[in-house]
Amino acid sequence: MPEAPFGVLALYPTAQALLDAIPGIKARGFSSLEAYTPFPVHGMEAALGLKKSRLGTLVFIMAVLGAVSGFLFEWWTSAVDYPLVIGGKPFNSWQAFVPVMFEVTVLFATFTAGLAMLFLFNKLPFFGSPILGSKAIRGTTKDRFGLLIMPEAGVLDVEAASAALLETGGSEVEVLAAPDSTPPGLGWWLKTLSGITAACVVTGFGTAWAIKIYPTLPPMVHMEVQPRLDAQKADSFFADGHGMQLPPVGTVARGYMPLLAKSPEEAGKELINPLPVTPAVLQAGRDLFNNHCAVCHDRLGTGKPWLTSAYTAKPADLQASTYREAPDGYIYYVIAAGKGAMPSYAADLSANDRWAIVDYVRALQRSQHAEPEDVQ
Amino acid sequence: MSSGSGTMVRNLLLLSAVGLSGAAATYFVEGPARFWANWLVWMVFGIAVGLGCLFIVALEHQVQSVWSVPLRRVPERLSSLALWVTPLVVAALLCLPVLYPWARPEGASVPAVVLKSAWLNTPFFIIRTLACVALWFLAYRLVVKRSFEQDRSRDPMITVRLRRYAPLVLAIFALTLTTVAFDWISSLEPVWYSDIFGVYLFAGTFLSGLAATTLGTLYLYNRGRLPGITKDHLYNLGGFLFAFTVFWGYIAFAQYMLMWYGDMPEEVFWFKQRTTGGWLALSLILGIGHFFVPFLALVSRKAKTNPKRLRWVSLWVLAFMLIDLYWLIFPAVGAKVRLGWPELSFALLFLPLGLLAARAAMAKGEDTPVGDPFLQEGLEFRL
Repeated sequence: MPEAPFGVLALYPTAQALLDAIPGIKARGFSSLEAYTPFPVHGMEAALGLKKSRLGTLVFIMAVLGAVSGFLFEWWTSAVDYPLVIGGKPFNSWQAFVPVMFEVTVLFATFTAGLAMLFLFNKLPFFGSPILGSKAIRGTTKDRFGLLIMPEAGVLDVEAASAALLETGGSEVEVLAAPDSTPPGLGWWLKTLSGITAACVVTGFGTAWAIKIYPTLPPMVHMEVQPRLDAQKADSFFADGHGMQLPPVGTVARGYMPLLAKSPEEAGKELINPLPVTPAVLQAGRDLFNNHCAVCHDRLGTGKPWLTSAYTAKPADLQASTYREAPDGYIYYVIAAGKGAMPSYAADLSANDRWAIVDYVRALQRSQHAEPEDVQ
Repeated sequence: MSSGSGTMVRNLLLLSAVGLSGAAATYFVEGPARFWANWLVWMVFGIAVGLGCLFIVALEHQVQSVWSVPLRRVPERLSSLALWVTPLVVAALLCLPVLYPWARPEGASVPAVVLKSAWLNTPFFIIRTLACVALWFLAYRLVVKRSFEQDRSRDPMITVRLRRYAPLVLAIFALTLTTVAFDWISSLEPVWYSDIFGVYLFAGTFLSGLAATTLGTLYLYNRGRLPGITKDHLYNLGGFLFAFTVFWGYIAFAQYMLMWYGDMPEEVFWFKQRTTGGWLALSLILGIGHFFVPFLALVSRKAKTNPKRLRWVSLWVLAFMLIDLYWLIFPAVGAKVRLGWPELSFALLFLPLGLLAARAAMAKGEDTPVGDPFLQEGLEFRL
């Protein structure tokens, strides 16, 4: 039995002519039809009698699945596997998950729609539809309206189909041969794979060769290239060949005074507070104290902390007589070097910051232990 | 008019009279705040349905859509509800000191409200309200009235003129609806900020207009008064209802999520009120009923062409617009969810009146714009 052709195709001059022709063709017993038009034609779907596509159901199921997996993923990452406090919100905050759920839903739905359309419903891959090789293709992409009668159960009466098309106003009837459906043989695979390999080799070596001849050209050099000594780089300018030189012995960085004292007592004897007690200094001292110290020492310096219910160390009570009578240098030293469980604040507070805090601590102490003359 | 419909009109008026006495009793028994809050819900609902229909008409002219020409008479007729509701709007000006804190001396002195006092003050509020009312009459005149004249004159130039005025009407719509949203609803909480609030009310308004148009179309369609209208036309109405259900959900959630995330005290208290106690239950009902139910009911293609499905979804959408307005307005004036005889009385008062107004409107002109030159092309529309 000879193989049935792909179909019989005819062209109609207008969309309306095509729509009007379909009932006549159906009346002649052909029901497996396909239309090729340059643009979507209203009413074509109903005229061809296309069945409802199952794609929508599939997309809906996958979209629901996407929403659920989006939620589960967010919930697992944010509430189970790696809980992080973000903006004080609960770990499991559905409100914050919704945008991601929405995106995952759209992702699942569109991928399902696109891939299912191509692979499940249109049975890709195949190498070109016979319609692409037809003479009619020029017209149906521009100003003609094609109708294709396809075989039913593998059988098509080409004569009768051509007659039906001609009688309903079609012209330029052509019979399209069935596409070659034999699976590609070993030769095809060899050709394809060696072609891909050759393309990879040519582009790879070609790129390498091009870079050799035309080395990387930075588009803008501006301040990147200039005669200077870079840190950590070799340079012939100095005798030792280093671009970076050690500072002379005894150099002190600007704005940095090393702490020479070895203990708070020694510091108390040697160091003198250079800052005058002015409202500006006290204001700065208060801000720094509240930011850095108050969390353990309390805003009044009483050592009754806010955050240390689970913290076993006892912060010093700055209102105690030991500290009221200690010299300024003592407190300065403890801020810079730490004491007991208290770490060094040298990296966070400059010398002036520390002295401002000392002045503010003095003001706090005086506020809690006022002398009679203070209130007169 | 047959005696049957006469009886119906009388019964509706009777119901309305019962509602009126209940509403009056509310004022004296429950206090003016509850009276005006109910009044506001129904007033904004009327504006939403009327302006929603007016928007659909203007939109059709603006985008020169052809499929909707045979259906245009329904939104044209129902857009007159926006004019019927204007007496309620003017009367509601009496409620300013009762409901609006910025209209009272002690409320106006709150610092956040002082900042807004250039906008939120009684004289300017009255000017804006009257301007909105005047603009609605103007918009109706520009984009609806001539269409009825076209039934007789069959003058195609009228279509040209309607299309020319459509952008102006759309601008009026955007301006006045945003003003309604900010003035009548948002300013119940004068401290609160939400830039998106106008869009939120627009989503509900367009949905209400679509639902009313769908109901009106089905009313005529089921009586065979829209010959030539096919399921393809209904499909587009269903598609619009579906799309703007999603739009409402998107806007409502966007507003909620940003405020929830930002947690700014001047914004988040508004949602805090609505997510505690009984209001939390109502918020959930609103989210499910205003978004999920119509979404799932209309998601399939067949559902969008099914007249029965479209009818109940439209009624459902209108009911949820009312619940939405209740949810917007009532927490601002009372602490608890209250649904008692006063709310029932107001429903009895305004629903029959609204139905009678819609009935009177639906009798105006031909059932389709017979003079529109695009009518035939619109009837031939197929998916």
